[in-house]
Amino acid sequence: MATATSSPATPGLTTTPYAPPPTTTNLSSATFTLPSYTSFPPFYTLQPNLTTRARQLALWTNLILSYAAHARLFRLSLSAPPANLLSNPTLHRALSEPDTRAVLDHMVQQGRAEWIPAASRAERPAAVWIYWRSLAEWADLIYGWVDETGQKGSVLTVYELREGEAVGGKEWVGMEEEMLRRVLGVLVKKGRAQIFGQEEGAGVKFF
Amino acid sequence: MFLRQLDLTTALRPSLYDDETLLFVQDNVGLYEGKYKIPNYQNGHAYLTSHRVCYVDNDEPRKYSVAVDLKQIDRTEFYAGFLKSSPKITLFPKASTRAPQGLKSPVPRYSSPADALIKSPNPPPRSYSPSPAPARDINATWICPICGFSNPVPPNFDPSTANQHTILPPCQACGIKPPLVHMVKAAIAAMSNRPSGQTQTSVPPSPLQPDGTFGQISAPSTPSDQTGSVTVCPRCTFENHPSLTACEICGAPLTSGGDRRSQLISESVKRPESPGPTSTESIVGNDNIETIKFSFRAGGDKVFHDRLKGALVQRKWLLQSAPPVPTPSGQSGADPTGQSNEPAQQTAAPPRVVGIAGLERRGAQLRANNQAVIGTAFEDLEALMTSAKEVIAMAEQFRAQSSSADSLTPEARNLLNESASALGLTTTKDMLGSGSTSENLYLTELSRNLAEFLTDDRRGVLKREGGIISLVDLWAVFNRLRNGIDLVSPLDFEKAAQMWETLQLPIRLRRFKSGLLVVQERSRTDEKTIASLLAWLRDAGLAGRTALGADALQGFGRGITPQETAERFGWSVGVASEELEMAEDTGAICRDQTLDGVRFWENHFLHFEAAASLESNAGLLGNLSIASE
Repeated sequence: MATATSSPATPGLTTTPYAPPPTTTNLSSATFTLPSYTSFPPFYTLQPNLTTRARQLALWTNLILSYAAHARLFRLSLSAPPANLLSNPTLHRALSEPDTRAVLDHMVQQGRAEWIPAASRAERPAAVWIYWRSLAEWADLIYGWVDETGQKGSVLTVYELREGEAVGGKEWVGMEEEMLRRVLGVLVKKGRAQIFGQEEGAGVKFF
Repeated sequence: MFLRQLDLTTALRPSLYDDETLLFVQDNVGLYEGKYKIPNYQNGHAYLTSHRVCYVDNDEPRKYSVAVDLKQIDRTEFYAGFLKSSPKITLFPKASTRAPQGLKSPVPRYSSPADALIKSPNPPPRSYSPSPAPARDINATWICPICGFSNPVPPNFDPSTANQHTILPPCQACGIKPPLVHMVKAAIAAMSNRPSGQTQTSVPPSPLQPDGTFGQISAPSTPSDQTGSVTVCPRCTFENHPSLTACEICGAPLTSGGDRRSQLISESVKRPESPGPTSTESIVGNDNIETIKFSFRAGGDKVFHDRLKGALVQRKWLLQSAPPVPTPSGQSGADPTGQSNEPAQQTAAPPRVVGIAGLERRGAQLRANNQAVIGTAFEDLEALMTSAKEVIAMAEQFRAQSSSADSLTPEARNLLNESASALGLTTTKDMLGSGSTSENLYLTELSRNLAEFLTDDRRGVLKREGGIISLVDLWAVFNRLRNGIDLVSPLDFEKAAQMWETLQLPIRLRRFKSGLLVVQERSRTDEKTIASLLAWLRDAGLAGRTALGADALQGFGRGITPQETAERFGWSVGVASEELEMAEDTGAICRDQTLDGVRFWENHFLHFEAAASLESNAGLLGNLSIASE
């Protein structure tokens, strides 16, 4: 089991793996319990004190990653965030958009997220990839599965990797194609895979 | 005991007696005893009050501060300074204070070259007389205010003991008795022309109390004084007057001063380097002190001397022991010795009337008395000075009456209260000397004055404001107390406030992040403020839960607004929000910005850290495993 790279600012906080047990099947019925700090009103105000803010950002990173791991969320859109993740209706508090961006910026810095560039240059990016596993970890996982199932040397389509029956129940199921391509790109760089063809019909050969 | 240890206020100024007023302050002053610098007393402030001359050291004010009572001062001398030598004022103690020693060496004069030699380990009678005594003005006179006739002051009249009960001789021309003040002034004026002081007119000339300081009619204890009064010419042996430098007969140079000097050096003191020999003896409570010199290294000497002379003439300290004003029924001549200290009403009014009539009569008598006091007091400014004590007492009495009476309007009551408080101590610019350093001196004095004002428990300015007050508010309060007279400019005020730090006063000026300047006690630190804030936050959480998400706020305490904080601690809202932000800066509390303003909470982010990692380990996995079943 791979572990996340720990952030330098908050040692000991993000070193825990967010991976659920691989046997999990019924995702939708599992309710995500919000940690206690989400009911602390100042949590939704970005703190001016730098020390406090560092802790707060770490907590937010923790929360978003836990939720993303739980909900198999690979992409977070600012315009339509998951309900109750960035707000607390009981307290009537919500993280404002600038503050959300600050939190996500922090996650990007930590290597836990990446802004998805907007369509035009003028706009600010409105969504992020959430890396509750880093790209390298995903690459290891996929390669490990390929190795396990003896498919080395054979060619798999990208679609097969995402939606195929063989990968059923694996963590990366439902991963967006672009993100999967990034993962595969990591493997290609390592010399463990090769990508053929374009777009839809692309195939991957593992070595 | 000439020099006395001095009590200081919290602001490190001399604490004054009840009737004492501050007359003048000068900084950069050093003390000498005789010719010797007194160690540790070389850099300080000189305070002249109506009763004392005080020295307060700059470095160690609590340790090295002394005072000289004016009543112990025989006379003063002024030395204008020469080249590198600073102007100095010499205070000569009264002879009677040294009388018990039985020995009296001549009073040294700093201007004489032999000055340094006077102070010797064992002072034997010395054959030395610096100069012939100035002519004495034995025939003190007073001018009759009625007819202008010049009358002699009676020989047994002593201004230091004279009071309303002293029998005064009538004018020899018109037979009208002079007012006491007039006589006192005349006597003192005559005395100040005469360096030998008031001993000449003292009633009991005790053998231990020498009459003349310079020994022309010398006391038997100083027989050898005469021998040094002439200088023998080394060539022709003519006996020259000591002030001559060349012989009157042969013109040979007289080296009398030098001779005397070398002779005395050999026999007594080995003098250290010339400007500023240092004595090592402890000076406080030392009875052997012959003179005390104040050396004014930064000017201010002239004004100091003028006011010192004025204070010596006014003799305010006599008021402390002064008997009450006599009744106008002419008691003054009746019994000057025994019963004069008792209130006149009790000795007068032989037919004792009791009951309501008695009360009424007493009231009428009292009113008549008050009228007389006020009438005489305002006749003349000098007279007002002498009867100041009675007038102040009366003002206090009126104030006490007015506070109990309901008939007065609040405005009138305020006015009365303020007029009484206006008698309090304040530093004004005219108390200080002129010169390049006077601005700085004014600021330090103002700074101390402010510190005293703030720490004064009777006023309780800080306490009323919750221990912290903004500088602007303080400025307003302080200036209001000055009754619109001699107001302090905001610039001076701020500068003075900034000097608290350097003067090590118990008050400090704090600048908040926003630039707001506040004043608080030095002992009240940020840590204490934060502790009290946190205690309140935790307490409030238990006491009252807000309707908003009471269940959700699991032990987070409660959010507070600056307004609530201001109410709770008695601060102003500006101060409260600054204090909260200060606490936020230290990380003790954190903010919660909502549409209806900012609330502050105890900083729980710290505690979440451990909980959060636990949760992601156990809690999250636990939830999921439950769900998967």
